[in-house]
Amino acid sequence: MGAINKKSLFVLIARLVLAGVFVMAALPKIEDPITFTNSVAAFRVIDFDLSAWIALFLPWLELVLGLGILIPDIRRSSAVLIGLLLFSFIALHTSAWLRGLDISCGCFGYETGGPGTNYSWLIARNVVLLWFLFLVLRQDMRNNPAAPSS
Amino acid sequence: MKARASADATLCSLTKTWRASLLAPSVALACSLMPRFLREILIITALTILGAAFSLCSGLAPLPWAEPVLAPGEIRLIDARALDVLWVDARNKADFNAGHIPEAICLNDEHWETGVVELMGTWLMNPRTIIVYCGSESCDVSKLIADRLRESLPDAEIYSLKGGWNAWVQ
Repeated sequence: MGAINKKSLFVLIARLVLAGVFVMAALPKIEDPITFTNSVAAFRVIDFDLSAWIALFLPWLELVLGLGILIPDIRRSSAVLIGLLLFSFIALHTSAWLRGLDISCGCFGYETGGPGTNYSWLIARNVVLLWFLFLVLRQDMRNNPAAPSS
Repeated sequence: MKARASADATLCSLTKTWRASLLAPSVALACSLMPRFLREILIITALTILGAAFSLCSGLAPLPWAEPVLAPGEIRLIDARALDVLWVDARNKADFNAGHIPEAICLNDEHWETGVVELMGTWLMNPRTIIVYCGSESCDVSKLIADRLRESLPDAEIYSLKGGWNAWVQ
């Protein structure tokens, strides 16, 4: 019984960490979308016009998902979408690393990153978050496989 | 009421039998989850769109289809403050004497030769980002001076300040 409680507590902490990371990442970008537009464009994957659209919607999506993973009605879909976002971020960082781009991450808005971005750290951080997400999703599926709104 | 409940139970049982016989269990599970999953995705999408609309309506975000806020070669004051900057004042000498950014160098067409020598000396001692400013948002002198400087100092990172001196004063 004690072991089960410890495990549940760990998953709860993982859920709170995921929520905190996504909310903290979203707020500065919502506040300063212009800087985030430049950060997105700096990856040179999409053009500047599309970067502006991404900078408008992505921070709000991150905020909704960060809060959504705590709300029973939408927590499972939020977790799935967070997983997709994390996979996208890992792919983007790997791509920028392979192309030798020396750019700001833009992950948490203006203050983070900068020239000389440590890509291995960024990718490792997202992998850890993916592992947390796996634990959260596994518990949600085990607890109530058919009804996410438990 | 009992008859209605009985009919519902029969219908449910028939449906379950039909599903079990025609669909693999995993597909049936996916089908049963899909409407709920789609509903949740719709809620998340709607909340995201509402948030983005709030950003647009409150002026937090510029319209994505509008012209870029910054012209090529321009920099905002908030970004400039985060850099180690060598300031260049492109206004006339009288305006410069009336007030300028600390340690700025006066450089305009009238004093180009003396100004550029002073600038090069300072920059070579400590190479850093050069930002040129003029009076306000509407003046173009800073952009012209920045263009000339890029020819004289091709290795330097040079910008013109959006909003100029007015942005600094505000």
